Amino acid sequence: MTSGTKIRRADRRPCSWLAALALCLLSVPATALDLPELMAVLARQRSGEARFTEERFVSGLDQTLVSSGILRYSSPDRFERLTEQPRPESMRVEGDQLTLERGGRTRRLALDAVPEMAAMVAAVRGTLTGNADVLRLYFLPEVAGTLAQWTLTLTPLDERLRATVRELQIQGQQGALRSVAMQLADGDHSLMHIAAPSASASMPGGRPARRAPCAPAADRAPSRSPPGPPGCW
Amino acid sequence: MLVTLGVTLHTRFTADLSTFLPAAPDAEQRVLTEQLQGGLPTRTLLVGIEGGDASQRAAASRALAAGLRASGQFAQVQNGELSSLAAVGSWVFEHRYLLSPAVRPDHFSATGLRDAIDESLSLLGTPAGATVKRLLDSDPTGETQRIAELSISGGGPRMEQGVWVSRDGTRALLMLVSRAEGSDLEAQAHVLALVRQLFAADATGLTLRLTGAPLFAVESRAQIESEVRTLAIAGSVLLGALLLVAFGSVRAVGAVTLPVASGVLAGIATVSLVFGHVHGITLGFGVTLIGEAVDYAIYYLIQARAAAPEGWRHWQRLGWPTVRLGLLTSLCGFAALALSGFPSLAQLGVFSMSGLVAAALTTRFVLPVLLPDGAPGRGLRGGLGRQAQRLARQLPRLRRTVTGLGVAALAWLVWQAGPLWQAELSSLSPISSDALALDTSLRGDLSASDAGALVIVQGADAETTLQRAEAAAGRLDALVADGRLLGYDSVTRLLPSLATQAQRRAALPTADALSRRLAAATAGGPLPAARLGAFLSDVQAARTQALITPASVQGSPAQALVDALLLPRPDGHWAALLPLHAHGDSVNTAAVAQALAGMPETRVIQIGEELRRLYRHYLQEAQAQTLVGGAAVLLLMAVWLRSGRRLLAVCLPLLMAVLLTFAGLQLLQVPLGILHLVGLLLVAAVGSNYALFFDMLHTGSAPDEDMMTSLVLANLTTVLSFGLIALSGIPALSAIGRVVAPGALLALLLSAVYAQRPVGAVGNSKVGVR
Repeated sequence: MTSGTKIRRADRRPCSWLAALALCLLSVPATALDLPELMAVLARQRSGEARFTEERFVSGLDQTLVSSGILRYSSPDRFERLTEQPRPESMRVEGDQLTLERGGRTRRLALDAVPEMAAMVAAVRGTLTGNADVLRLYFLPEVAGTLAQWTLTLTPLDERLRATVRELQIQGQQGALRSVAMQLADGDHSLMHIAAPSASASMPGGRPARRAPCAPAADRAPSRSPPGPPGCW
Repeated sequence: MLVTLGVTLHTRFTADLSTFLPAAPDAEQRVLTEQLQGGLPTRTLLVGIEGGDASQRAAASRALAAGLRASGQFAQVQNGELSSLAAVGSWVFEHRYLLSPAVRPDHFSATGLRDAIDESLSLLGTPAGATVKRLLDSDPTGETQRIAELSISGGGPRMEQGVWVSRDGTRALLMLVSRAEGSDLEAQAHVLALVRQLFAADATGLTLRLTGAPLFAVESRAQIESEVRTLAIAGSVLLGALLLVAFGSVRAVGAVTLPVASGVLAGIATVSLVFGHVHGITLGFGVTLIGEAVDYAIYYLIQARAAAPEGWRHWQRLGWPTVRLGLLTSLCGFAALALSGFPSLAQLGVFSMSGLVAAALTTRFVLPVLLPDGAPGRGLRGGLGRQAQRLARQLPRLRRTVTGLGVAALAWLVWQAGPLWQAELSSLSPISSDALALDTSLRGDLSASDAGALVIVQGADAETTLQRAEAAAGRLDALVADGRLLGYDSVTRLLPSLATQAQRRAALPTADALSRRLAAATAGGPLPAARLGAFLSDVQAARTQALITPASVQGSPAQALVDALLLPRPDGHWAALLPLHAHGDSVNTAAVAQALAGMPETRVIQIGEELRRLYRHYLQEAQAQTLVGGAAVLLLMAVWLRSGRRLLAVCLPLLMAVLLTFAGLQLLQVPLGILHLVGLLLVAAVGSNYALFFDMLHTGSAPDEDMMTSLVLANLTTVLSFGLIALSGIPALSAIGRVVAPGALLALLLSAVYAQRPVGAVGNSKVGVR
């Protein structure tokens, strides 16, 4: 922990307790996480995979829409969302290429041709790769909480985008994302829970079971990116 | 004369470079050239806005688009703003049950409905679900979304701040389609001015970049007009000055202009009668005609003067037959052009033939009346003649050297053995490489996946064509599915065949059946059936909805898109274009061709390759025509000279001149094209005059010094006028000039080099007199 390091370093200067006190005082707000710190922690994670469950609350519908599937990413720019339930769908992004599969149809699009999609992808990719610059292209990012339990709030900068998406709230613990909440401008909202992939064999597609929740997804990491430290998100 | 002047005044001058596209031999190529000459591309302008910051560019794009839309001059103004697509969107929504490929009987079973509704719901609650949510009550099965998805294939332009921008985001993009026809250059010039004026009105610090066929056409015309004017003025002044110095008499110069003027007027009048319009470049070529027509007058003025009094009788006896033979050989050369598949070259041929005949006739019948004893003045031409004569006496000494050079040139050309004719069709185009680079870059911004390839489907009527296009689209879908093709556009997405529409309409259930199945499909689901009253009534309305036809599309928001992809042909047939989108730069046309195998009147073509093929075809044709023209010249001279030895003496310098010019161009690594070939033919046609005069000079009894003077003057004027067009910025003109100017000079020099006897010797024969 960065803040802890600072405190220890201060302790090694006995002759200047005043300076130590000042540093301690300075380090107090640092325990309330800031964006560069969070980004640095997130950036350590080079690739990962996790299950998600999403609930969408849409006005005029009798029920909450629930879907679930797998999220997968690898640095620097690959991201996949594979929905398994209630109907198989997928969204794959690599660089500026967006591939959508719905109802048996495949569409390939240039991401920059669909700005709302580009913003959503930037929110996810920017957070996962710890790239604050990508986030700032589209959002005003604000961090709250501590590294153990943080909340990253993203408010769209562009008013056109704000007419659709009011706010995104990403919550996480350490380098792992735990949920993504999206508030749409028309009042609809959604909440996605992200779980670490459990060692269950229930995942379709014959994927190998994992020994530990936070085992590295090295088997799926592309060879060009070096394997990151163990972890999950 | 008055008649020709009258026709000239009413002649339509065109500078449309598409005339340089040859008349296409096969059906697909014809569709392609028709499209390039008169289709949507000739009305499409691309606009880039550069400079300033992103918000300024976006604001300028919106303001310009609004102004252009308000002007009413445009069928389409696209800048990425969704509002510009709203009309098409609601048109698609109204016709969704005729257009959606999902509309089949099982689509409206309880299972089919549940499936389709689930699919729509999967987008709700996400940013992408806004449209679906708005239409959910009337379109719960998501047909509008499905049609929209199909229409967007491949990489569209990048969007920023609600408008199209380039991939790197540094310029805003607009695409305009004018209402005015592409061939109406006056209207297109007006449209361009309007765009510039509207842009200037509210853009400070921003730069407007324009490209597209209308711009090229308008600018080419302006360039050709101004160049032709400059060339004509420069040519007249230069030749006038030369003649004034040579003759020292204004009257003589005035007399010289007479055959030239009558030649040019006759040329314009004939071309306009035969073709209906005169191409700007043909006029430019008329400038060079001055160079040849002026020769006739020079021969007359000098040769008649030399024999005064009653010089004209003498000239008609001695000089005219040679001029007439020279005229006939030139006509043979130009006849090859007149038969060319290139409309512009055919114009050049007809123009030159009629112009030369008129000039020769004027010289033969009008000049003797005006100036019976030739040129009144003496000027400096006496000195010129003496110098020329001295030079001519020396030149034969170079015979061995020249022959050696010729053999070396031939050997080198043979040894080279590479492709001699490398120039492409684009080498005829006057568009600068900068302008082309901007064009390519803007087009790339607009559609990253445009592969320059398309499938052309034809049929005897619209319905047949549409059915065949649907069949072809089915095969293309398979290629898209296995990733060999990124996508394609087809008119059948907005205008399916009547058969397909009727099938879809028949698949729609009755109100009772639909509400029963809908109740089953929505039971226990999140979407209450009670909300879907609009859906029920819309489906009922669609069951009796009028089918969409090419006629009913006219005036609708879909018209622009349909017009771009479905073309009525001049012969009553129809053609559908299916542009292909590729992952990389090019489409695997072999795979597409294989997929389309066996389908009637359906073919995939790569546009660039097809135009190159077309050009090669005409290059071969032109080569054959040149050979025939050359053979005709040879035959004519053989008949006239009736002597193998003299024929050889006349032809050898011509052959050497052509050979050396050709080798010189190769040495300078000039990519040779169809116009260089035409130039070589002209060298032979013009040069034959000199060779024939030399032949006469050495076998006849004409006064040498004056003959030499007239030849040198005639040659100087030719070299000057072709030298002038060699400097032209219009590739088509400069190519001819760069071949003929050195070639004609060589032809005269080599005629002297290969002269049979030393100049000054008196021959006995009376050949050349009739």
